Amino acid sequence: MNGLWSVIRKEFMHLRRDRTTLMIALVMPVLQMIIFGYAINFDVRHIQTAVADLDNSRESRQYLAELHAGQYIDYVASLSSPEQVAQMLRNGSARVGISIPKGFARTLLKGGNPQVGVMIDGSDAQVSVRARFAFVSPPKNLPAGVPDARVNVLFNPDSKTANFMIPGLIAVILQIVTVALTAFSIVREKEMGTLEQLMVTPVGRLALMIGKLVPYAILAMVELIAVLTLSDLLFGVVSRGSLITLSIISIPFVVASLALGLLISTIAQTQGQALQLTQLSLMPSILLSGYVSPRETMPGWLYMLSSVIPGTHYMQVTRGIMVRGAGFVDLIPQFLILSLIAFLLILASTARFKKSIA
Amino acid sequence: MALENIIEAKGLTRRFGSFTAVDHVDLVVKAGSIYGFLGPNGSGKSTVIRMLCGVLQPTEGEATVNGFNVRTETESIKRSIGYMSQAFSLYRDLTPAENLDFFGGIYGLKGKHLKERIDAVVELVGLRKYMEQPSGTLSGGWKQRLALAAALIHEPPLIFLDEPTAGIDPVARRSLWDLLFDLSGQGKTFFVSTHYMDEAERCSQIGYIYLSKLILKGTPVELKAMPEVSPAGTRRVSVETDNPSMSLRALKSMKGVRDATLVEAEVHLLIDTGTPDSAIQSALSEAHLPPSAVRSIEPSLEDVFVTVTRSLDKG
Repeated sequence: MNGLWSVIRKEFMHLRRDRTTLMIALVMPVLQMIIFGYAINFDVRHIQTAVADLDNSRESRQYLAELHAGQYIDYVASLSSPEQVAQMLRNGSARVGISIPKGFARTLLKGGNPQVGVMIDGSDAQVSVRARFAFVSPPKNLPAGVPDARVNVLFNPDSKTANFMIPGLIAVILQIVTVALTAFSIVREKEMGTLEQLMVTPVGRLALMIGKLVPYAILAMVELIAVLTLSDLLFGVVSRGSLITLSIISIPFVVASLALGLLISTIAQTQGQALQLTQLSLMPSILLSGYVSPRETMPGWLYMLSSVIPGTHYMQVTRGIMVRGAGFVDLIPQFLILSLIAFLLILASTARFKKSIA
Repeated sequence: MALENIIEAKGLTRRFGSFTAVDHVDLVVKAGSIYGFLGPNGSGKSTVIRMLCGVLQPTEGEATVNGFNVRTETESIKRSIGYMSQAFSLYRDLTPAENLDFFGGIYGLKGKHLKERIDAVVELVGLRKYMEQPSGTLSGGWKQRLALAAALIHEPPLIFLDEPTAGIDPVARRSLWDLLFDLSGQGKTFFVSTHYMDEAERCSQIGYIYLSKLILKGTPVELKAMPEVSPAGTRRVSVETDNPSMSLRALKSMKGVRDATLVEAEVHLLIDTGTPDSAIQSALSEAHLPPSAVRSIEPSLEDVFVTVTRSLDKG
């Protein structure tokens, strides 16, 4: 065991100086514990629900209040027609829609069973199963009759897991691959010494960033086509919506993910660190994006954190288009958010790049 | 644009936190010269070069390069200089042709003009037959020639070479210097940092940086003639002997010898003028060493740097 003590001491010295590795080693398990612990929670409650109460009577309001008391659903919008409710479901801003027809109170007070239209977004099987619970047992404190809730599961009515999971998986895979594509690009040049040469040339920082991004963006779009083809061939999952729309909204997502990789590349001092940081960024991409379990189950701060990850919004896009057949107009918010994230990440990595060479 | 002084720096200073890496450096480089920039590692050489290249902002002081201010006109500086670093810093996975095409493109060259420039620099450094293999597979000397070609692609009047010959073989080193003389003859200015004394001897101007300060500057002849290098009452002699290392030991401890070192199998001494050659002869025979020839010599650049550095360390 000659020199064991010296080696131990030396390694500690390396570790003390390599702050990034030290930070990763200390922070990673803490983050994993927190994120795994909170994010994987299948006990879905407070599902976003849109309501069109055409009867607008004391009884209809009481019925809605009783449904809400079960904690499965939260009302996020009060609309004037069932069509508007359906629209909210399609663009993903609500998961459950309730339409109470005119004459609800009259039928109820006569002791009858007034029909209530319930639409459930079936694209996320876990959410739709929970949402159904809300309507299983009819409210007890209503006068006379019992409302008859007709549950109609939209999109993926047979609750086939693949229909829901594969579009999500596409988002996860693209996120993982794209971040890794650029995460090494700057730090590799740093290690090879070519960055030193570039710095004395008049090449612009932004030009360097975008120049590194464009080829990989094209590559990522090719990968998108590949995974879409595979999802059809292997799992029989075919998009209900337009693939052209999907491709267009994929552009800001791909750019955002690549820019995240670039940011990692400007932070890391070595390729080894870049690898670790990439892995660190992958965990939230998978766990927080809504792929594993619905974002609705997350506590508020984690929900916030998940919304800065490009994959989160992109997952809504792939699921929206492929499962619900959403159109571009339905997904404009996601398109804008992804574009904003891409823009900010490019700015951040360009700014960070300046600091790292000074 | 015929500037007489292609680089002028006044009070150039760079601090990193509380550490002063470059301390009030004044420096003038004449157009068309080969300026040798010497100094031990960590003395601030690279920091000076980075400031002059417009990559690093000075904390204090001013400098102009090609007439451009290093604080405010960094982009113009970058366009008007070439830079070649000690480690090969072109893309190893690209061929020389691809590397030159890339760097030419960055400097805004395109189309026919770019092609002509590539042809010209390839011709100049003699790289023609290696154009299609990955640059990483070239030998050290060819890598440096390729790097020089890349540094010349946009016809800069001034080229910075940061230890260009570190780690390459003597033949490649000589031919690289021949190339520099050639280009210098055509009016190019070179700012070369180096550790090699023989390379320093070849420069038309020299600056020596030590502990962040530029402590010596001038032509090699001027530096050797400095009074501090040959203090009053001393002279330099070379002792030719069959056993240099034993002789060095014997002579080091001799009275009247201020400094002794080995150069090319001869013992170089700095002795008091009062010590005659015969005293050296007798000291050697006392130590049972073969007799030898003693002759007077001029100080070398190494003598210059050693003497000045020592007197600084003492005082």
